[in-house]
Amino acid sequence: MGVLVSIALRNLVQSPGRTSLLALAIGLVTTFLVLLMSLSLGINENLVNSATTMSAGHVNVAGFWKPTTGTAFPIVTGVGEVRKVVEASTPGLDYIVERHRGWGKIVSETGAIQSGLSGLVAADEGRFFDRLLLAPEAEYKEGGSEQIFGDARRLSEDDTIVLFSGQAKRLGVSVGDVVTIKTETMSGASNTADVTVVAIARDLGLLSSFSVFVPKSVVLDLYQLNEDTTGALWVYLDDIEESEATMTVVRGALLDAGFQLRDHESNPFFFKFEAVQGEDWTGQKLDVTWWQDEVSFLTWVLTAFDTLSWFLTLILVVIIAVGIMNAMWNAVRERTREVGTMRAIGMSQRRVLILFLLESLFLGLGATVIGAALGAAIALGVDAARIPVPSDAVRTILLSNELHLAVHPQSLLVAILSLTLFTSLSALWPAIRASRLQPVKALTHTE
Amino acid sequence: MSGIVRLMDVVKDYPLGKVTVHALRKVNLTIDKGEFTVIAGPSGSGKTTLLNLIGCIDVATAGEVLVDGKSTGKLTDKQLTSLRLNSIGFIFQSFNLINVLDIRQNVEFPLLLQGGLSKAERQARVDDVVDKVGLRQFASQRPNELSGGQRQRVAIARALVTRPAIVLADEPTANLDSTTGTQIIDLMKEINHQDHTTFIFSTHDEKVMKRADRVVRILDGMLEAAGLSESRGPSESGGEQVHA
Ligand SMILES: Nc1ncnc2c1ncn2[C@@H]1O[C@H](COP(=O)(O)OP(=O)(O)OP(=O)(O)O)[C@@H](O)[C@H]1O
Ligand SMILES: [Mg+2]
Repeated sequence: MGVLVSIALRNLVQSPGRTSLLALAIGLVTTFLVLLMSLSLGINENLVNSATTMSAGHVNVAGFWKPTTGTAFPIVTGVGEVRKVVEASTPGLDYIVERHRGWGKIVSETGAIQSGLSGLVAADEGRFFDRLLLAPEAEYKEGGSEQIFGDARRLSEDDTIVLFSGQAKRLGVSVGDVVTIKTETMSGASNTADVTVVAIARDLGLLSSFSVFVPKSVVLDLYQLNEDTTGALWVYLDDIEESEATMTVVRGALLDAGFQLRDHESNPFFFKFEAVQGEDWTGQKLDVTWWQDEVSFLTWVLTAFDTLSWFLTLILVVIIAVGIMNAMWNAVRERTREVGTMRAIGMSQRRVLILFLLESLFLGLGATVIGAALGAAIALGVDAARIPVPSDAVRTILLSNELHLAVHPQSLLVAILSLTLFTSLSALWPAIRASRLQPVKALTHTE
Repeated sequence: MSGIVRLMDVVKDYPLGKVTVHALRKVNLTIDKGEFTVIAGPSGSGKTTLLNLIGCIDVATAGEVLVDGKSTGKLTDKQLTSLRLNSIGFIFQSFNLINVLDIRQNVEFPLLLQGGLSKAERQARVDDVVDKVGLRQFASQRPNELSGGQRQRVAIARALVTRPAIVLADEPTANLDSTTGTQIIDLMKEINHQDHTTFIFSTHDEKVMKRADRVVRILDGMLEAAGLSESRGPSESGGEQVHA
């Protein structure tokens, strides 16, 4: 009924004070919610991005090799065969890269750190070099310039290393310096390799403290491994959303091909090491995971953040709901005689209900749309400003050096619809009361 | 035996704290189609109560009220609403227009509630009644821009637009000066003559009473005995109307 719409809208305009106050409150809560959601999405994007660059492919085929029951090594043997099965069985496969894994001490003239080693074949890499952002000198060197030195693609050369800026700072090294990697081989002997720092990458929060990048040959040499081994196959898909399903497919294919698999366990590879060492078997078992497994220790950040966001929003929404209910009571009281008149003329209870609900619906919709637009604009602006995150702790949580907010149309829609629904629901009770007014009593109502 | 409105032994009690107010005590009344009837009586005599029952915005405590052939005591809220919408037009003492709508929209409102008419048909009806009450040039103004007399004309137009069987008016002239009041009554009477619309209105203004065809006197919730209470003007309606 057009006339109900027009009465509802005009009633809103009729009391500009009340309407704008409520609209402001609803709008600001929407803005707040949109900002929180954008931040959450931003963190999520950081997580997905860095996780699938630094820690995992979309699907990972890693392995444990146990020469004796008491030892375990992060190795996939006979990688050629494994790779063939994976290539043949993965739907929507984009490309596969190898990561050779090790763990060692990295020593410079002035410092030492423990770190995982990621051995890679530069020529095979896909997104890695695009995603790895190099740090300006100032990030790792006292009094350094804003200039970026080095080139990560030089990992194609022998005896090279790429560090993260936090690691470089602790080691006191710059691009061009030489560091020494110390590891233990399978037989327990110590091995070292001298490598040149060819690039220093920007930190990626927690993920960047655990690994350095070296050419595959460095890892093979340090551990005296043959060419047909690797640490893990990182499988990249056309569609990241298919990761988990594809993992299941790959597991099935590998089992069918006669490989031994560890049961799926949603933990990063190295978290399982101790358990595997204690297990009573020898030989090779593959460990197939998808990317979320490898960063499962980080997802709590997102869960906590989202829970907190919704909790805060809920509190605000409840406050607003009380305000709306109160305003609606006033509106019903002020317009009781009008309701009585409409009922006397022949307006049904249902239409009275609709009339009052429409009013709060329009108020809610208008305010949330404006609020969401404002929130989106602020989020995009903050994101574009690339505001640096000052504290290490926050950086660790946000998984980024800069504040990253992502605006998705879906999240705007969720904010608008959920808050509009809430607004309308808060008006439901007063609206029902209005519709149930007896015409005679409403008509004789005096202010 | 016919009659567009029939009240039979109608009682209306209002509980008021511990006591009960007997607003109507066994009222019997028949009003025929096309009558122009005044309910006259002093303040508190039960005029509004009586009109509310006829108008189906309230139900009797006992007895039977028949409006347009339907016994209102047996109807649901939905059916009463529909009866009000389709058979009754209301004119209120304080006009009761919808302030956010302009004159034309106020008059059109009952038609929109009814549904069924096309936009053009509604337009024609609205123009017709707005002309009849002489407010054509005010059609796009808001109620609060009009004088009391003009507002009551809008209310009359709104009551007439659905072409109801009965138009009820509870002291329609009480908020108007006597000249304007007389004009309003004359307008209603004119419409009554032209369209044979049944008008029932209440007043305690002697001047207004004189213009009615039929005066029903009420006192303390009882209609005064026939002959004594009824004064009939030169109306075409006739027959025994009051059973007291
Ligand atoms: N809702 C109510 N509750 C209690 N008593 C009521 C109520 N409505 C009316 N009454 C009482 O019923 C009696 C009749 O009232 P009613 O309003 O019908 O009189 P009236 O003739 O219209 O008077 P007035 O000329 O002042 O409008 C009065 O005694 C009044 O006090
Ligand atoms: Mg009265």
